[in-house]
Amino acid sequence: MKRILTVDDSTSVRQMVSFTLQKAGYEVTEAVDGKDGLAKIGSGKFDLIITDLNMPNVDGIQLITSARKLPGYSFVPILMLSTESQAEKKDAGRKAGATGWIVKPFNADQLIAVVQKLVK
Amino acid sequence: MSMTLNSTTTNTLDKAGGDLQWLLRTTEDAIGGLVASFQGLAGHADSILALAAAIVDCVEDKRVSSVLAGVQALGAAAKGFVDDKLKATAGILDTVTAEMELLHKLSMVTDGQAKVAAQIKMLNVHTKIEVAHLGSVGASFEYLARELADFSLALAQNTQELIRHTNERKAETEKTKLMVSVELSHLTEELARIEGTLRDDLTALQSGLTRLSMTPVQFRASAEEIAGQIAGVVVAVQGHDITRQQIEHVQAALGLISQGMADEATRMDGGLREAAAAHAGLAIQIFQLTAIKTTIAEWTSQVRVCMGGILRISASDLVEIGPLVLEQERAMSAQLSHIELLERECQADSERIRGTLEGISNLSQLVAEHLQNSKSARNRLRMLNFNSVIEASRLGAQADTICVIADGIAEVSVEWSNLTEQSGVALREILSLSKRINQVMETFSHSGSGDLAKSQAQMKVGLESLRSASAFAVTQGHKILDATNAMQTMSAEVGKTSDLLDACYARIDAVLHELNGAKSQLESDYPGIMEHYDCEEIEKAFSASYTTAAERDVLRAALYGKEMPDAQQSFIGNDVELF
Repeated sequence: MKRILTVDDSTSVRQMVSFTLQKAGYEVTEAVDGKDGLAKIGSGKFDLIITDLNMPNVDGIQLITSARKLPGYSFVPILMLSTESQAEKKDAGRKAGATGWIVKPFNADQLIAVVQKLVK
Repeated sequence: MSMTLNSTTTNTLDKAGGDLQWLLRTTEDAIGGLVASFQGLAGHADSILALAAAIVDCVEDKRVSSVLAGVQALGAAAKGFVDDKLKATAGILDTVTAEMELLHKLSMVTDGQAKVAAQIKMLNVHTKIEVAHLGSVGASFEYLARELADFSLALAQNTQELIRHTNERKAETEKTKLMVSVELSHLTEELARIEGTLRDDLTALQSGLTRLSMTPVQFRASAEEIAGQIAGVVVAVQGHDITRQQIEHVQAALGLISQGMADEATRMDGGLREAAAAHAGLAIQIFQLTAIKTTIAEWTSQVRVCMGGILRISASDLVEIGPLVLEQERAMSAQLSHIELLERECQADSERIRGTLEGISNLSQLVAEHLQNSKSARNRLRMLNFNSVIEASRLGAQADTICVIADGIAEVSVEWSNLTEQSGVALREILSLSKRINQVMETFSHSGSGDLAKSQAQMKVGLESLRSASAFAVTQGHKILDATNAMQTMSAEVGKTSDLLDACYARIDAVLHELNGAKSQLESDYPGIMEHYDCEEIEKAFSASYTTAAERDVLRAALYGKEMPDAQQSFIGNDVELF
């Protein structure tokens, strides 16, 4: 079973991501912020990461930058899930190594379709 | 602006900030409960869909839809069976009626023979008298008298036996006729009933099977609808996160405005610039909260509608699929049992009628024996007549009376011959009737049973499939019922959580009222305050924390009088933009 990490300081968003992807057959691990996310990335192997942008401690951009430096995470797909839709924010995410961007709220079917495409 | 007034306004802003903090904390708990309820409902809905899918697969696998053709064939065969029995029974009734006519004729023959026996007895008496009258001359007639006595006795016995048997047979035939008439009436009613119940059963089965055949389509539609409702809740719950962030931004902005006003109070220059910034800030927060309130109304409504949609599955036809299959199986079982019972009843009737009608062969045997005796009697009568004529001639005029007796014997002999002829005709008719009865009984016993047995066998195979599907459907149906009950129980909880959210968000109105009061106070203290807005600086100060395009649009509407952005009417969710 493919493993996915969802990083968000909002409980309800984490729950919705987990619920959607678990129903689609993925194993989902939750992290409450960037710091927690990096700790979980360091201790396990994930096939895909979905992270929020604005979070306490370590934000989404920092998380991506740090994760990309970790062995085995250079090419792991990382999706940003944020309320932000500004082009400069997206550009910052892309430069940090994000694979894609989703403006909240996400559409469950479309999220599943993209995840299936990225982790097959 | 006086320090006292400033203090009142900052207190108002702090209170509003506190209210928003309370709102954030409380709604976070409420949304947690709502998410838990949603996950429970979605889980139960998924279970129901999975259970219904299993029943649909089972029903399709067992080819339940082909059962209808079997039921139709069985119905036609059962109707054919009863129809054939009806015709055969009518045939039996005809033969029984014919037998009764025959028995009547036979009675007339036996009555005639009884009269002849009585006449012979009378001739015997006359002969005895004449023998006594003639004395020694008539000794040769003693033999004739003895013969007539023996003969009349034998004939009387023989005829009485046949009369007795004929009467018994008449009684039996009456009984059989009554039984066959009742049977005919019963079968006629049965045929009408079978046609009626079969028509009703077929209509019910067809309707049930039509419903069953629609179930896969209905199932797919329900699955799609539920998936849509679940996706709707997933998006709407994220709406909570978005508005939560926006409320946090308003709360932070109120803190900033309050802080600015507190700083301004320490200055003694009148603070028009700061008051204008505070006024603009309040106007922006009022706009933001108004927009947030509309967005909250949208996503809470979507949650309510979608949760209601998920709950609807518990009242949909889909949950009835288990009982429906069971109902079909029961209807078909009842139909088959009824036909089997009818078949057994017909078999029993057939045995009874056969037993009764078989009595005719005993009668034919008796009549045959009687005919044989009648023929012997006819020959003996002729012989007696011949002897008496010879003896009377020998005696001459002395035996005139004996001549009369001889003539009497001759007459009786002719009459007996006629009756014997009639007995022969009756025997032939009885034999012919017996043959007809055998044919009719053969038809009755086997009529329609071949087609019926074939259809019953086919139906039993179909019924087995349906029974197996039904047993599975019952088990699954119980689980569906459990899931349905659990969903119904949860619906009250969902309603309470939604009401709690509504009550929490109603606090926004109170906050808006407070902010509008503070803003009006500033307008009253500083007439024309809006003319002193430094829009660029204000935008920079307040938009720094914004994370959504909507917040930025609302800020511009508040500051520059631009059009307020439309509140999100429907949360369908956004696509993924891959880099």
